[in-house]
Amino acid sequence: MKRPPVASINTVAKRLVGRSDLLISRKSVRDSLVSLAGLIGRPVVDPDGREIGRLVDVVVRHGEETYPPVTGLIVKVANRKSFINGARISQLTPSSITLSSTKINLEPFSRRPGESLLDADVLDHQIVDVDGLRVVRTSDLYLAPFNKEVRVVGVDISFVSFLRRLFPGSLSRRPTPDHVIDWASVASLMDSHGVVRTSGTRSALSQLRPADLADLIEDLAGREQGALIEMLDPDLAADALEEMEDDELEGLLRGLSAERSAELLSRMEPDESAEVLRDLDDEHRESILNAMESATAKQLRQLVSFDEEVAGGIMTTHILVVKSTVTVADALQLLVENRERESSDGVLVVDSKGKLLDHIQTVELIAVDPQSLVSELIAKPFPTAVTIDTPIEEVVEEFSNNRGSSIIVIDEKNKPIGRILADDLVDALSKNRGRFSQSGVTRS
Amino acid sequence: MTQVTIPSGRKLRIAAFLAVMGPGVIAGLSDDDPAGITTYSQLGAQFGYRLLWVLVVSTIALIVFQDLGARIGVVTRQGLIGLVRQKYGARAGSFSAVALILANLGTMTAEFAGVAAAGQLFGISRYWTVPLTGFFISALVLRGTFKKAERVFFILSAVFISYIVAGFMSHPHWGAAIHGMVVPSMPFNRDAINIATATLGTTLAPWGLAFIQSYAVDKRLTRADLKLLRADVWVGSALTGIIGFFVIVTCAATLNHEHITNITDASQAARALQPLAGTLAKDIFAIGIIGAALLAASILPLSTAYSVSDLTGSPAALDDKFDEAPLFYLTFAAITVVAGGLIMIPGVSLIWILISSQILNAILLLPLLAYMFGISRDKKLMGEFVAGKRALILYGAIIALVAICVLSQFWFIFNL
Repeated sequence: MKRPPVASINTVAKRLVGRSDLLISRKSVRDSLVSLAGLIGRPVVDPDGREIGRLVDVVVRHGEETYPPVTGLIVKVANRKSFINGARISQLTPSSITLSSTKINLEPFSRRPGESLLDADVLDHQIVDVDGLRVVRTSDLYLAPFNKEVRVVGVDISFVSFLRRLFPGSLSRRPTPDHVIDWASVASLMDSHGVVRTSGTRSALSQLRPADLADLIEDLAGREQGALIEMLDPDLAADALEEMEDDELEGLLRGLSAERSAELLSRMEPDESAEVLRDLDDEHRESILNAMESATAKQLRQLVSFDEEVAGGIMTTHILVVKSTVTVADALQLLVENRERESSDGVLVVDSKGKLLDHIQTVELIAVDPQSLVSELIAKPFPTAVTIDTPIEEVVEEFSNNRGSSIIVIDEKNKPIGRILADDLVDALSKNRGRFSQSGVTRS
Repeated sequence: MTQVTIPSGRKLRIAAFLAVMGPGVIAGLSDDDPAGITTYSQLGAQFGYRLLWVLVVSTIALIVFQDLGARIGVVTRQGLIGLVRQKYGARAGSFSAVALILANLGTMTAEFAGVAAAGQLFGISRYWTVPLTGFFISALVLRGTFKKAERVFFILSAVFISYIVAGFMSHPHWGAAIHGMVVPSMPFNRDAINIATATLGTTLAPWGLAFIQSYAVDKRLTRADLKLLRADVWVGSALTGIIGFFVIVTCAATLNHEHITNITDASQAARALQPLAGTLAKDIFAIGIIGAALLAASILPLSTAYSVSDLTGSPAALDDKFDEAPLFYLTFAAITVVAGGLIMIPGVSLIWILISSQILNAILLLPLLAYMFGISRDKKLMGEFVAGKRALILYGAIIALVAICVLSQFWFIFNL
């Protein structure tokens, strides 16, 4: 990914507060907390107490360490912004920063990868509160000396702390440790490479339901959305994407690279991916498809080409097909290998030419001798099948006549090519109803 | 076999437009509130068709900044006040929010006053109309879903047609009207500059700007909707101007023609219309005021609640339940109750509340426009939607115009 490294999103998991190894719970750290918001604009002085300049921003580096160290200060000296190396800090108080030597190199600041500016990039910005399942704003950040370096140790999202900052003078700088969340329970994703991978918070994110995650993603905008997606395990991200509104998803994909989009779409159910791809413009769709494995791309291309109003347009192509000559054990093996997919409730049995013979439920396979042949299980009732170009209305009719949980889609040679599950049909119908009722356009 | 008729492309486009439509039309038309109608009536009554061009300029400014607000809302997914806090700091955000709350409280009082005055035209006491209005808007927002509330806003918007009807009934001089629209002329006196500033200020209201952005966020509009949303904003803002036009020509054709220039509120304009354009014209005009007040009185507390939630970073959505977004609903209730309560105090003089809220709106408008200007050119926030050079020049020109108006009005206020 070629996006420039930039601070974009932080994630808070309050349920991790209370862990005994947290820095904030140590008395020495609690007593030396310095409010970042209060520190901005305060003097930076040399060892003799002479003012060098005023603090503009604090630069931190995100890396392996849990508590990001301060790598430098941006200081306004004689109306010019200069960078002072963080190693020069000798003392940090809530109202000033003292440097260790009188000789100071003032360099122009340029952001290195993995670095972020606390005031410009994090303070007052939106962060994801995993515990509360919502997007909140950072009211303050806390710095404290630890392990020979000044580090970010905590974040504050309370409104009380926000109000405190409005007061003049030293009142605005007084720390309010009761509201501080330890940085260890904050995963901050500072660039698109995901430099910070605080295990705790990643797992907190992974415990969310896909639907909640989808809501969180929808609450964020472009760059932050991308950052949150990057942070997630691809399978979980794909699950969350399936739960998102079509429009939202379309906007989200526009912000992701073709490779990342391809990866996510490949992991989604094919019918869902096809539905999204269908709405994209040709150029964008092709760039994503070209970044996919060719087999997946081919399958999706075919799905995309079907009209949404017919069976082919809403089916999933993920089906498990076995020849009638294989053993029950082989069929079960195939099911086990594909247990993650929602369409794995049975196998489709075909003859030597690939024509559909029957749909055999997993339960039926378990009940017989594993060494018997699948062909022995073929019996009435035979599954309902429709062709690709069957209109949705007829599919609905078939469903209500047969009361099954799925319908098989076959091509003109009677070969099974996909399945329509009841939930696909519900999606297709509710989508249409939503669109048409708003406009008053009725279908004849 | 059942035949599925796939809607034609045109039908689909209209359907999509209707689904996205709302923020622009609602935000725009709620700027034509009783205070706005009063201002337009004064402009027409005092200066006839001559200052119609001021309305044209105001409408253009409205289109440009509502369009920008909608774009910022969709791209950043954040309301204006939240973005101000993020980009300009805690104090700037809080100042904007507090000023907005106070100004909105004053404007809300004016909306209730509008309802009360228009109700009195039909002989209904304010002790009935004001509580009923408060009850209506609270029920609308507290009980309904986003979709239901939006539908009611739309129905209220339809009331504005009454101004167009009243306009035609007054038989205006169309030629003079068009001349006044396209040929700018400005009498250099205090009244003219005051009314021009008031027109610009009532059309381009701070709460409207904050509202469109938050509403687009709440409606979860995406970049894919942006084209349609902009169409909606343009239509809404243009409608605002068109309604204003008809109010002005109605008053120009009747009140100005008969040299009735001392109009102090919209209901007075309605009453003055009666002998000139008939009882029906008066009633239609009065119904328009009630509808306008109801719409604005629904939007104002909503805009305030969005802004407060936005500042604190707490959830704010019409579809949220009370315990999911307590701050949002409490702000809404507080604004409604306090403003309604002020109106109900017997014998209270509201004039200072109305004037001070107008001044506050004027003070607030400039920094808000400047913040929007700054946000629009922030690449980090706006990404590919960052404003180009031409757009920035346009924004800058409008801000300069607003600055001139606001400063000259202050000059007149403090040189009384």
